[in-house]
Amino acid sequence: MTTMVVAAVLALAAGAAQAQSPETLTWLRKIHEATQQLSYSGTFVYQNGKRTETSRITRFVDAGGDIEKLEVMDGVPREIVRTRDTVRCYLPESRVVKVERRTDRSFPALLPEKISALTRHYDITLGETRRIAGFDCQAVVLTPKDNLRYGYRLYADVGTGMLLRAVTTDESGESVEQFTFTQLSIGKVTRDMVRSRHAASAWRVEHADAQPARLAGWGLAADLPGFQKVTELKRRLGESRPVGQMVYSDGLAAVSVFIEPLQGREPVHTGLASMGAIHIYTREVANHVVTVVGEAPALSVQRFAHAVEYRRPQ
Amino acid sequence: MKENISALMDGELDERATPQILDALGRGGEAFDAWSTYHLIGDALRRSRLLSEGFAARVASELAREPTVLAPRALRPAPPRRWYALAASLAAVALVGWLAFAPQDPVRTPLAQAPLPPAAPAAVPLPSGTSDYLLAHQAFSPRVSLQGVAPYVRTVSEQAQEPRK
Repeated sequence: MTTMVVAAVLALAAGAAQAQSPETLTWLRKIHEATQQLSYSGTFVYQNGKRTETSRITRFVDAGGDIEKLEVMDGVPREIVRTRDTVRCYLPESRVVKVERRTDRSFPALLPEKISALTRHYDITLGETRRIAGFDCQAVVLTPKDNLRYGYRLYADVGTGMLLRAVTTDESGESVEQFTFTQLSIGKVTRDMVRSRHAASAWRVEHADAQPARLAGWGLAADLPGFQKVTELKRRLGESRPVGQMVYSDGLAAVSVFIEPLQGREPVHTGLASMGAIHIYTREVANHVVTVVGEAPALSVQRFAHAVEYRRPQ
Repeated sequence: MKENISALMDGELDERATPQILDALGRGGEAFDAWSTYHLIGDALRRSRLLSEGFAARVASELAREPTVLAPRALRPAPPRRWYALAASLAAVALVGWLAFAPQDPVRTPLAQAPLPPAAPAAVPLPSGTSDYLLAHQAFSPRVSLQGVAPYVRTVSEQAQEPRK
């Protein structure tokens, strides 16, 4: 009964179409908090286009920080363990572990105080309520104000704020990517549950160390509305190729620009590759390969790629 | 301290502060390093052929031995150079040294505006090493703040499409 009343009130609130009402932003903050504070374990399905993949996710939080583990259950086995400082990607078939150390602690980039700034580029409203994996969920709908970013439907547990489903939508409202929990249990996680199942001591280790740096001369000839540069670094990629990376974000979507010397590389195929909500645009600029990777519409990624320029530092 | 070294080089330093700075330079260490760096920068800016690695050391050792002689002020003092600020910006520029491959071709005149991308881009297959790009990109995605590690599944997903070795 209570749930129905809550649902009715929420439906009314949504019906009133009060975009950016404090309540909608409170929901986003609640999701954010739940993501940082809850321990949980569950199974979710990731879907983009025709591809569907099931994964297990486990998160352990204690005073010493938080550890998350992701195991992909379909296809090639993979496991990712993420702590505050490091992301380790275990690839048992090739016996490789990729280690990504985070030198810049200012990430994750969506900070609670930045949530209200999202309203500059998105209309944020409350949508329907729906039951997902046994949880009563409230939908928070982010509709972009232009065609440079996707829309999102986020379904959060009314009780805890835990995100049960996230749908990324294109301009016609169609889903381009979806994460949905099919089973979730909150709490009851021990430290052992987030340890990697792989000893990996004899595996090859690929270190992808990144450090903030200035890539002198490189930049964008024109900014994309709403996207601001959040970081600029030099790093290693894969088997230690040196690469420059500039990251731009509107607070929710992010686009990375990778710059690497053309020398010693196979010829570049200029054009666009797509994978669900991710687009990758490659082109050549001033003897370098520029690869733009973003969870943004093809148009944005392409515009970023075409805006990249090199000006000899004066 | 660095500001004072910078001022000393320009003959701008207060007379009372000078002996203290000269003492510091005589002791070597950080002050002396800054002094050397600023001289190098100065030479580079003046396009001296001979950069003054040895020069700075010689001057410093002379200074250490000789009694303090204050240079007369220029009639119209040049604006302070802020050598320490220059050092910071040059250091930042130097970071690009890792790229070690500044473009060889004459760089085309930058357009005032970004060129408009072609209307329909060519569709190409995912570049090799896509999952490395995705892994590197994912760390900066604000989505992680709302979903934890879950979005990393994208990096994994692509690998599954690669042929098994």
